[in-house]
Formats: sequence, structure tokens, C-alpha cells
Amino acid sequence: MLMQISFKSSTPIYLQIVDQVKDAAASGALQPGEALPSIRPLAEELRVNRNTIAKAYSELESLGVIETLAGRGCFLKENHSVLRKEVRRKLLIEEIDRAVVQAHHLQVPRDEFLGLIHERIAVLDDKRRANENQKEVDRP
Amino acid sequence: MNSPTPVIQIENLAYAYGRAEAVHDLSLNVQPGRCYGLFGRNGAGKTTTMKCLLNLLRPQRGQVRVFGLDPAKAEVAVKRRLAYVPDQVAFYPWMSVRETLDYLASFRANWNRKTEQELFERFRLDPAQRTGSLSKGQRTQVALIAAVCPETDLLVLDEPTSGLDPIVRREFIEAVIGAYQEGSPGKRTIFVSTHLITEFEGLIDEFTIIDRGRVVVTLDSDQARERYQKIRARFAQSPPELDLTAALRVRRNGRELELIANGSGPELVERLRQHNPESLTTESLALEEIFVATLKS
Repeated sequence: MLMQISFKSSTPIYLQIVDQVKDAAASGALQPGEALPSIRPLAEELRVNRNTIAKAYSELESLGVIETLAGRGCFLKENHSVLRKEVRRKLLIEEIDRAVVQAHHLQVPRDEFLGLIHERIAVLDDKRRANENQKEVDRP
Repeated sequence: MNSPTPVIQIENLAYAYGRAEAVHDLSLNVQPGRCYGLFGRNGAGKTTTMKCLLNLLRPQRGQVRVFGLDPAKAEVAVKRRLAYVPDQVAFYPWMSVRETLDYLASFRANWNRKTEQELFERFRLDPAQRTGSLSKGQRTQVALIAAVCPETDLLVLDEPTSGLDPIVRREFIEAVIGAYQEGSPGKRTIFVSTHLITEFEGLIDEFTIIDRGRVVVTLDSDQARERYQKIRARFAQSPPELDLTAALRVRRNGRELELIANGSGPELVERLRQHNPESLTTESLALEEIFVATLKS
């Protein structure tokens, strides 16, 4: 996968990388078992500190998104969350609360907000389907 | 919790050339494994600070410690653990690149031949060429090879890329990341002084901005990007009269307003939002913009 970073974002660089891998995994752009770029070439290519990439990958590993195979590199894991269900729910609730507060400030009413959530889930589903189909096409 | 001994400790350092004070009461700490930037304009005192670390100048007041040692008293012990790339690289001009590196390697306990070969190829250098006929960029490349191959714990870079073309600069940074940092992941410390901040942006973990020999600010890069923000707002009519004293800088043009905030971003955004702007965007400042904003305010 081709990573992008922006120094104009207030999100720390390592988190930008974490988020991109999570997005790619959720949309199916990165498939379970697929390799992530190795630390050194990625650090050189993005011209960022090697430790920044290492930090991102170790965060992804502790979240159970990727696994490191000694001498072979990092790979996207199958069914990835290592966290218990309650913990996963709690983490998601924090994110939802943040969006709810934001919706209030932006004066987006309840029904419209709920509609948007359905819409965004549909967008992600579409992406997944497109990536699935792409895989079929790529198959010889 | 025991924190490790900083690789570099500078406390209340002062140095004057005659009556001209170059460094005044400068303090900073560099922790192991970090890439630390010393940013300042020309003549801000960067090179003087570097020279005090390397025992090329003796501090007139305050003290410096490298690996916890006084570089004046334990010069050999300090220098065997660090490598240095100065802004002006000079070699014996009659020696070839190969001879120069062999000569420099003879002072070192360790020399990684594999890294040397890899960098030779990356920089497309000719080992047989005399150093006297190298370009400025090539001389810097040879100096970098000589600094990376001994695999020291600390790499000191003094304005390493000034006067080099953009391609050479990029290759320089990539070599520092790839060849130097990769060697002993998480343990190699870099101390770099520069006024060309953009190209080191992704490498710098923490930095100190100095001006006229004094510390202006020391920040962690991630925190810096969170604190310093550029906020742009456009209104349907001319912008309302607002209390914007919390902003570091304000630019107005017609219906548009641009603010630079230092830590007060969320507060300012909220205040602008109350006046229903047509558009309102926020982005973080790049390190170079932070440098400019800090020194201009």
C-alpha cells in the first residue's frame, strides 16, 4: 500500500499511519495476509524518522491489526481485534460521543445525523465490494 | 522511574567572541534515541553550541555533558562514541575518496564495510577520485559515509545540507534514516542544527529554536503541530469585530481572516464559529512556519 502523510495535520505522524492501515483494512484495500511495507524503505520514502514507523507498527500490532513474523515483515491479520467485546464497545462509544457533540455544534439534527451514519456505512460497504470485485478480476 | 542519562546536556551555556555574545544562558537535554533539532537563523549561535559539545570551544559559563561526560576532560571517551558532519567539509585534497575513508577509518574501533559499500552505490561515488576535485555535495556525501560507518551512538550534524542541491539533500536525509538509524533501531541519537527545516521535518522528534544566542522555545514536534495552527475563515460580509488578541498573528483581506494560533486554536475557532462563517478551516503549521511565526512575533 502507498502511504501518505501530511505535516499540516495536527494528528501525529505515527497515528496518521496507524489510521491509514486501519482504513485500508476496513475497506478491504488491504487483505488479511497481505504484507505492509517494511520499516526502513517506508521511512526513507516518506523521509520520516525510522522510529515513527516502528511506533506506528507496534501500535498496530498491540491493537491486533497486524502481526510481525520474524525475518519476514509485518502482515495484516485475519479477524483482528484482540480486545474484549466490552472494551471494543467502550472505544467505539468514545468516538460516537465525539461525533454526537460535533453534530450538536454543527447544528445537524438527530435524524439527519442517524441518516448520515447509515450512509457512511453504505459507503464503506461499497468500497469493500469494489475491492472484492477487483480481487476477482485480478485472479488469473 | 529512572530516566536514562541524556546523551547531551547543556546547562546555562554562555560563550562570547570578544564582546560579541554568541550564546547566552542556553540549556537543553537530548534523550537517547531521539532526533533533536537546533533551529536558528544564520548567526543565532548554533555552530558555537555545537563546537562546545565537541570541545572545539570551551564554555565560558555553564556546562555541557555528552554521555554524562565533560568533553574537555574526557575527550577521547566522548569522541569515540560520536560522529560529526560539519557545514564546511575539508579533506586532504591529494587523497582519493578511498584513501580518505581508509584514513578516517583508521581512527575508529569499528567500521561497517557493508554500509560503506551501500552508500557508495547510493551516492554513485568513484573511490579513485581525488577529494580535491569533488563537488560540495560529494564532499558532504563522503563526510556522511565517514560519520555513519563507525556506527556511533550519536551523530552530530551542523548545517549538513546548506548549499546542496535538492536531490543531494534528499539522499542525505534518506541515508541518515536508512543507514544510520536502521543500524541499532531506537538507540541512535541525532543532534542536527539547521535553518533548512522543511527537509528535516519528518525526522525531528523534538527541537529548540534559538535566536541571538537565547532559547526561544523547546517543543516536541507532535505537540508543536497540535499547538500551532493556521485558522482561515471567510464571512458573507466583512469580518465581524472580534477579540483576536489570543492569536499570534492576524491577516485580513476583504471577507477573509487568517489567524495563527499558539495553543489558543480551539478557543479562536469557537469564537469565529459563533459569527457563522461561510467557511472555516484549520490546519497545523509545518515546523518551518512555526519557526518563522516564533521569530517574527
